[in-house]
Amino acid sequence: MGQFCRRYFYDKSGCPDLARVTELRFGSRMLIRISNCILLLVIMTAVACAQTRPSELTELNPEELMNVEVTSASKKEERLLQTSAAIHVITQEDIRRSGATSIPELLRMVPGMSVSHINANVWAASSRGFNGRFANKMLVMIDGRSVYNSITSGVFWESQDTMLEDIERVEVIRGPGATVWGANAVNGVINIITKKPQDTQGGVVTTGGGTEEKGFGSARYGGKIGKNAAYRFYTKYFNRGNFVDASGRKSVDQWDALRGGFRVDWDASERDLLTVQGDIYRGDMGRTAPIAFLSPPANGTVDVRTNQNGGNVLGRWNHFFSKKSDISLQIYYDRWKLDDPIITEGLDTFDLDFNHHLAVGKRNDVVWGLSYRYTTDFYRNSFTIAFQPTRRPLHLFTAFGQDEITLVKSRLKLTVGSKFEHNGFTGFEIQPSLRLSWTPARRQAVWAAFSRAVRTPARNDTDIRINVSAFTGQGGLPIVVALLGNPKFKSEELFANEIGYRLQANSRFTLDLATFYNVYQDLRTVEPGNPFFETSPQPSHLAIPLLIDNKMRGEVYGAEVAANWRVTPFWKLNSSYSLLRTQFHLDPSSQSTEDEATEGNSPRHQFQLRSNLTFAHNLELDTAMYYVGSLPNLQVPSYTRVDTRFGWRIGERLDLSVVGQNLLDNRHAEFGGQFQRIYSTEVKRSVYGKITWRFNRGQ
Amino acid sequence: MIPFQPRQRRSLVAKIARVIHIMAMCVGMCVVSDVQAQSLSDYQVKAAFLYNFAKFVEWPPEAFSDGGAPFVIGVVGEDPLSGDLERIVGGKTANGRRIIVRRLRGGQELRNCHILFISSSENYRLSQIMNSLQGANTLTVGEADEFTRHGGIINFFEENDKLRFKINVNSAERARLKISSRLLALARVVRD
Repeated sequence: MGQFCRRYFYDKSGCPDLARVTELRFGSRMLIRISNCILLLVIMTAVACAQTRPSELTELNPEELMNVEVTSASKKEERLLQTSAAIHVITQEDIRRSGATSIPELLRMVPGMSVSHINANVWAASSRGFNGRFANKMLVMIDGRSVYNSITSGVFWESQDTMLEDIERVEVIRGPGATVWGANAVNGVINIITKKPQDTQGGVVTTGGGTEEKGFGSARYGGKIGKNAAYRFYTKYFNRGNFVDASGRKSVDQWDALRGGFRVDWDASERDLLTVQGDIYRGDMGRTAPIAFLSPPANGTVDVRTNQNGGNVLGRWNHFFSKKSDISLQIYYDRWKLDDPIITEGLDTFDLDFNHHLAVGKRNDVVWGLSYRYTTDFYRNSFTIAFQPTRRPLHLFTAFGQDEITLVKSRLKLTVGSKFEHNGFTGFEIQPSLRLSWTPARRQAVWAAFSRAVRTPARNDTDIRINVSAFTGQGGLPIVVALLGNPKFKSEELFANEIGYRLQANSRFTLDLATFYNVYQDLRTVEPGNPFFETSPQPSHLAIPLLIDNKMRGEVYGAEVAANWRVTPFWKLNSSYSLLRTQFHLDPSSQSTEDEATEGNSPRHQFQLRSNLTFAHNLELDTAMYYVGSLPNLQVPSYTRVDTRFGWRIGERLDLSVVGQNLLDNRHAEFGGQFQRIYSTEVKRSVYGKITWRFNRGQ
Repeated sequence: MIPFQPRQRRSLVAKIARVIHIMAMCVGMCVVSDVQAQSLSDYQVKAAFLYNFAKFVEWPPEAFSDGGAPFVIGVVGEDPLSGDLERIVGGKTANGRRIIVRRLRGGQELRNCHILFISSSENYRLSQIMNSLQGANTLTVGEADEFTRHGGIINFFEENDKLRFKINVNSAERARLKISSRLLALARVVRD
């Protein structure tokens, strides 16, 4: 499974975009005339384009054709069929036709994924429960770089973005992927994979705006350096409007962000591929946060503007010894900083990663790897939030090995492996898994998986203090309720049992069913502790501590079923349903009052139906309907969300589209209450228009 | 919404327009290919092979109703070739005959094809399709593992990421097709 992704990820050949090729089919005569005109212009301006290209296939005689290397769609399908994990792949075509403008919004289409807008600039996204502002059991990577924040155990989605047109695919695995990907890949792994620069040659400019999308624009240009290297660079800006609070009043969560980046890929030889890429960004977001004051003791809310900025640079070397053996060496540096009146925090990450893929004989396909990660963080504390110590360097050492063993050729596959890691909080962690895939018939497969995965502690489990509220007690004594980190916090632990079934009835209909029974131990709880006096800060006050601990266990089980049906070559339907049941049990020694109720933070039922229609003249009509069940603990009623997109591809160069989102109601809440220092707000109905213009390089 | 229909005879103007269009398409493709991945899907290469089969196989005269009759490439089943095939053979000729592409479901019209590509989605009814083609001068091309054993003539398969094909020479003889030695030299020749 993870191996599937790894191999996909390092696939040297890349995938030709079949969807795009399909768009080029002949339409009506009218279309031919229009394209004649456009293409005649191309002839006049592009006579320079004289090189022969692989697409001039008719020029090749049969002997030459025999030597063309092909990437087989059927092989890919087979690999997907036999993957023993609940995997879903979002393609570039899915991205384009979704009308989504951010990465978390794309994830709504993944079966069983729960995605909620907390406010205009903050999302909660998780699969299989435990959703929240920092869904701490979902590991997210962009081009091999982890964007899981090791201070807060979660992803700051508001800072994760790129030019969506340059994403090749997003692979989402529900369920543990810790054996390959490491700690915190407990409930799922999200891999965002951008295209090779060789596939993003030429320019793309997009611009548009609307009611929520106040204005946006992006530009990318890709070119070649010599014969074997290609580059691209991009920049993207958007300005998004505010949501509204529960009574319909404007909230303060409008935001804007600017980013830019580059990627260079150099085929240094037949056997070597070098990649260097990087991004830099800044964003300005508003939120309403709870705040406590000591003198006089009081609680209130404050509207703050948060600035987040950062950057990263990554280098990777892939070397192919042979078809059966290849290595990759990757190194990256990532910096992230959040700055607002309540807290300033920053994180520097340095990561070194080595992988070796090796086919041993005909039956064994082995991947093993070593990695080292150094993180260091820094804080400027306030009365509301403080970390002690304010700087804590951490070292993470990992090793993993996994063998995919073909027991019966193209019938039975066993994958066994384990991750071993040593972290600065809990020491050694072992995360093994055993996966079995059985293909009884050519188009059907059954798989089962058993794994252990852990969510390792982060600074906000061990070293944090949040003064949650303050009030005046008897005799005028100030009292502060304080959430305190626990230096002895243990890893949260999962034993996962999964069984799935896949059917590729034909190239028009596929069905994917995944079921799971997850057993969790040592889940995080908040326990009331013994009050104590404090003299600092003044005035002297009584502190009532809430101690972070591991005093809960639970079972989470459910099923996700997805069906994709290409009704005609021009009409595609995707649907999915997911069921999720969560049961938490406090230890007898626990006095927690709220944790059991977090069972109700994820929807029990979710259903979606998406339709993509292509008409003559390259007109496209895409509609998505999402039903999301209620979140009882957060008092969020169930809702149905409808997004629709109308697009027109005018030749190869120009796309126009109009997108409507949340069309069914004026506003609705997708998440509730005050969560992780943020008051949630409600999503509004919105419309925006977009123009995409492409041009080729060097003409 | 019907994507492909056999084209009727055209006026001279239409022909010129079409030639210009094809030239433009070629340039367009040249430009577009700049943007696309350099590796090719197996279906793009299969489409190019189909064009080559049209050139390197000889059909008996009775396979064509008259001297001006077009050369028909039929595709039956799920259509992974969609777009590629039209682009590759669009406006091309084989032995002086204009090549046209038809998408088919089954039945009698299959017999009117000179080349019939049977996609793997039709594996379940392969023998039925083959039966309906008995005695027809149709070069059947397929992807199923057992295709030649079912009476199919040319069977694509992959070897070391390259496309290869088997030719069942007995089936070809039964369809009264003459396969050039150049093609046979490249193929893995099988017999019933």
